[in-house]
Amino acid sequence: MKDRHLSLNQTQRVRLEAALHELQSLAPAIASAAAVTVADTIPVNQEDNILKGHGTSDQDGEVVATLCGVVERVNKLVYVRTLRARYKPEVGDIIVGRVIEIAPKRWRLEINFSQDAVLMLSSMNLPDGIQRRRTAVDELNMRSIFEENDVICAEVRGFQHDGSLHLQARSEKYGKLERGQLLMVPPYLVKRKKQHFHHLEQYNVDLILGCNGFIWVGEHVVVGEKTKTTGGQQRFSTEAENFTPLETRKHICRLANAVRVLSALGFTLTVELIIETMEASASSNVEINDMLGAEFYVQTAEREAKHRADLLRKKNGAR
Amino acid sequence: MEGGSRAEGRNPNQLRPFSCTGNPLHRAHGSARWAQGGTIVLAAVYGPKPGTRKGENPEKASIEVVWKPKTGQIGRQEREYETTLKRTLQSICLLTVHPNTTTSVVLQVVGDDGSLLPCAINASCAALAFAGIPMKHLAVAIGCGVMDNGAVILDTNTAEEQQAKSFAHLVFPNSRKSVDSKDPTQKDEESERGLISCITHGAMSEDDYFNCIERGVAASSKISDFMRKTLQKEVSGDA
Repeated sequence: MKDRHLSLNQTQRVRLEAALHELQSLAPAIASAAAVTVADTIPVNQEDNILKGHGTSDQDGEVVATLCGVVERVNKLVYVRTLRARYKPEVGDIIVGRVIEIAPKRWRLEINFSQDAVLMLSSMNLPDGIQRRRTAVDELNMRSIFEENDVICAEVRGFQHDGSLHLQARSEKYGKLERGQLLMVPPYLVKRKKQHFHHLEQYNVDLILGCNGFIWVGEHVVVGEKTKTTGGQQRFSTEAENFTPLETRKHICRLANAVRVLSALGFTLTVELIIETMEASASSNVEINDMLGAEFYVQTAEREAKHRADLLRKKNGAR
Repeated sequence: MEGGSRAEGRNPNQLRPFSCTGNPLHRAHGSARWAQGGTIVLAAVYGPKPGTRKGENPEKASIEVVWKPKTGQIGRQEREYETTLKRTLQSICLLTVHPNTTTSVVLQVVGDDGSLLPCAINASCAALAFAGIPMKHLAVAIGCGVMDNGAVILDTNTAEEQQAKSFAHLVFPNSRKSVDSKDPTQKDEESERGLISCITHGAMSEDDYFNCIERGVAASSKISDFMRKTLQKEVSGDA
């Protein structure tokens, strides 16, 4: 939980402590079991058949933890899962990244990983939509597709032998993201789900939860209209005409602030939770910039504590 | 000068009160602020970052240390600290997990009251653990001084270091503990754990040296328990 230098007065501090305490007590007891630190031996039954996974190493015949975290056992695999890990990519993850460099036939993106991800020119759809071999002219026109500091959404295609990532953006829903905000949250707050692209119709806003902790909140773009090839002058005039309407901008800001508050509190980010927080702020008439203030912070913590307590009570009652 | 009458009334085997704050810096991947009495060091870890330096082996990860003194320009003493720290940290980290990467450790001296190098080693080890860099074991460092009358004192402050005949900074690996050991007072076998680094200043006899190591091992288990408790708190302290 990062300290955002909120100046809480005494009552707010007390309320926050109470809410956090309740959340801690509601947390499943499994999480506190088998927490290891570096150089703790992990007890294993049959020494010879155990697969030693990430975060473990074999020293003097014993399985020793090399990371601090929780011991997980799956069949014959024993590994240590860190709770506050850096982003660990898997094939098929949806990623949001920012272009930092254009290299021969590829773009390099920064994605909050130990190395930069690479998006090859051949893994990207050309603007005219034809499937053809990339020529030298295409290579020279790479800047017309993506430039430095553009925000891009892509999917992990695989790993290189040196550990760097290869991305692909061949589908219509991937590509350059415009008219919105990019938020950076700790990657362990975004869990892998079936869907990472969310279109919120009531606000006309797209919400993309990248698995690397980069979250995009932006105006909704109708898929299929992206492949318009407009000339230089034409583009200026069309953009001058359709600015994002003020209502949509307010919704984008509210959603972004809701994500900021939730990430500061350390809650797992799901679409339902973000929308619920945003609606709570709208219904209680909190100003958009006040959402980052102390009062809303404490209220969100209390609301989530109550919500989880209700869920637990319902589960216990149904049993 | 008797070994018994130390500055704050400490006995020869008593360490100064130490504290460790986890992750005070938000932009670093891992950071720790380790304080031992008046000596305070802030360590920040960034990485692993892609690419290695020119002379380094690309099949292993490399560690780069930057030491920032409290006052004054960076000179030979700071370079010596950087090299010592780099060698120590390279021996405790698992270098084959992220090949061809560089991990930077930046140290800032906030206060210096003796035993600066041990404090810095403890701080950087804690910062590496908070950053999630896999390590074989934690490095626990302690400073020992040999006085004129042959008495050995632990955790020397600046005045004692100047008066001592010789002093040594020792770095030990921390003790291993089983995860669910039902016996809380289980005595771990510290016999052959070994010594990671040792930097001595001044001349000391063999007996004094082994004496220092013995006392150091005993004290290092206390510090290693403290480190383990701090790391456990950080690991399990999340909503």
